[in-house]
Parts: sequence; C-alpha cells; structure tokens
Amino acid sequence: MCLDDQILNTYLDNELAEPWKSQVEEHLSYCSSCRTRYQNLLKISDAVKSAELTADEIQPHQDRVLSMIEKNYLSKGKGKKSFLHRTFKLSAPQMIGVAAAFVVVFVGSWAVFGHNNATDSTILLPDVNTTIDLNNITQTRSTDNAATSKSLENYSLDEILKNLDARGYDVDIRLKSIQPLSLEKMSSEVKVIAKIESKGITITSDGLAKDAEGTIIATGVLLEGNQIVASDGTILWKAEETTVIGDQNQSN
Amino acid sequence: MEIRSGDELAFRQVYNEVFPVVMKVAYHVTYNQDVAEDICQDAFIRFYDKDMSFPSMDDAKFWLIRVVKNLSINHVKRKMRESASLEKVMRGPQVNPFKDGASELILKESTAAVRKAVSELPEIYKTVIVLREYAGLNYKEIAGVLKISESNVKVRVHRARKELEVKLDREEVNVP
Repeated sequence: MCLDDQILNTYLDNELAEPWKSQVEEHLSYCSSCRTRYQNLLKISDAVKSAELTADEIQPHQDRVLSMIEKNYLSKGKGKKSFLHRTFKLSAPQMIGVAAAFVVVFVGSWAVFGHNNATDSTILLPDVNTTIDLNNITQTRSTDNAATSKSLENYSLDEILKNLDARGYDVDIRLKSIQPLSLEKMSSEVKVIAKIESKGITITSDGLAKDAEGTIIATGVLLEGNQIVASDGTILWKAEETTVIGDQNQSN
Repeated sequence: MEIRSGDELAFRQVYNEVFPVVMKVAYHVTYNQDVAEDICQDAFIRFYDKDMSFPSMDDAKFWLIRVVKNLSINHVKRKMRESASLEKVMRGPQVNPFKDGASELILKESTAAVRKAVSELPEIYKTVIVLREYAGLNYKEIAGVLKISESNVKVRVHRARKELEVKLDREEVNVP
C-alpha cells in the first residue's frame, strides 16, 4: 500500500514521528511512484520557499521601522516610552492610593494657599469662612462709572453726609417709625416764631423775647393758653393783640 | 531567559531577531511591502508599549507573529471588500502587484508566479503555508499561533500544497 500525500507532506516537513518516519523512508527506498510524488511535493515546497521575501528586501523596512521607534519611543530618557504613549496599569488598591494622593495634595494646597491666614499652618482643613466686612464685598454693575467701581456701601454714613453737605444738600435723617419731638429744637437755626407788633417784641424758637433793637428782654418764653409768658411770670402778650407768623403748633 | 518587552535592551534583541520573520509573514499575506512595513511597525509598537513579560524569545516571537498575522489578514479582508465594490465601478486593467517596480530587485518570473499563487490561496491555507514556509514554524508552533489542533495544521498544509500544485501547474512555472 502506497503513501498518501498527507503523510508525505508531514514527512517532508519533518513532522512525522517514529516509527512511521522510518517506515516511510523504507517505503520510499523501493517505491518509485511514491518517490516521484514525494519529489513533486518537495518541489512545490521549495518553489514556495524560493519566492520568500529576501533579506535585501527586508533590510530597508527593518531600518526604517527601527529608526521610527527609536525616535518616538526608545529615546525618551533611559528607554522609557513617551508619556502620552504609556499605558498605565494599576491595580485597584494602587488606583485608590493615587486618588487619595490627589485628594491630599488638593486639599493640602487649599489649606495652605486658600486660607487667609497663611501663617496658621496648623489648620489643614480648608477654611472659607472669612469674615464679612466692607473690604471683602465689592459690588459692580455694568452701569457703574468705570472709575468708581466702589459702591455706596463702601462709605460710612458720616462720609456720605459729609459729602452731600459739601455739595450743598440739606439731608434729613430719621429713624423709621420714630417722630422727632421737635424739629425746631433739632435745628441749630433759631427761628422767629412770633411777633408782638404792638410792643415791637420778637419771640424766637429758643425761648427768647427781644425788643425792636434786638435786646433780650425775657427768657424762657412760653405760650400758655392765649398768652405769652416769660419765665419770671411777666405776661408779654395776651390774645387778640398779635399777628402770629409761623405755625403755632411748631412752637410747641 | 525572560523577555520584558518594555525594556529597551530586550526590545532591541527581539526586534533584530524577529523583525525579518514578521516582515515575511506580513508581506506574504498582504503582498504589499509598504503595508507589511506599517503592520510590523504597529505590532512592535504594541509590543513595546504593553511592557509584557515573556518566558522566552520564542514566546515573544509567537506573540508578534500572531499580532502581525491578524493585522495582515484584516488588511487583506478590508482590501478585498473595497476592491470588490470598486471593481463594479471600474473594470480597468489589473496591475500585477508581483511585478511592480517598487522593489529594486528584478524578480524572476517564477518568483512572481509563486507569490501570486500563494496570494490567491484561501485565507486558512495561506496562513499555514506562510507560517510554515516563510516563518519557519513547525506544526506545533503553527497550531499554537493559530489556536488550532496540530492535526488540523497537518490537513491544511496538505490541502494548501495541493492547491498550489494546481495553480503553479496552470501558470506553467518551471519549478526548480
């Protein structure tokens, strides 16, 4: 019985184990048809091998690829690959460690740089609780004058009043729901509240009664009922004698 | 000897020894030297980047061969799909890639014919023949790279040679 192609091919490739290998060799030694068949298969194999890409054809590719890899991968400092091409392989605990390190660095830098009192190095936790005062608040609006980005809140009440006063405004400041007892008394300006024309006496809001020349003739003048009395009891005026200027209620 | 693929010294060693082999594999599957070069470059970059550990030089070689083989087959498949759809549009004269002037070597007629015959083999036969004849792997190694059984390799080698015989006969190649 002759050998089939598959056995011959296996023998040709030196893949036939003993004892079959010896048996095939023995058969080939006397069977000329199998020998011819074997020679044919060998020729095919040799023909295929002869068409192999030659070393001369390979060399330029080998050099080119190597120089490319050397340039982009190997030469990066002690043969380390470039950072971007590196693949990071981390186990789960390593990854957690790296994440924790990032958190520590982040929080730490915040504690050192984000804290107002940088000298207080004992505080490691972030502190954003800065005191709110006028220096920390800046209000800006697009309509603001570009040069004066500071708002009204940057000035104290005194400064505002001073400023307005300098510009000639008379500002009245009062607390809500509290009526002033007497506007006249708050004012430093002394007003004429009544004139007794028959006697040429002028009564002013500070309680003084003056004669036509301006000499003070009585102090502590009050309006009592329908007469004007000085503090010593002198009746300066009685009803239906005067022309009152100003609102009588104001003098109270 | 353990091989660390991310180590420069080991890499150079593997490169010098394995590049000619994988270049042959890539070329005899794609039959395009530029494509084969790109595929080899791709494979070696992956090899270096992955920084793997191999028990021996051969294990590194088999890894590279497998990667190059897969990349090459993918290229051929893609190329075939493209040319199949392209052929419907333009049925121009086909350029024989085995006689192109890209190589400075003037190929023998028989070489061109054999390369053409190999290129026309079905993929499963072509791969075993390329690994056997050009990469010089034995059946066991081929089985390992292709992840098939040794007897399967045996059958494929046999059928591949049978097909080649028919093709080469038709081409009237003077087999040396």
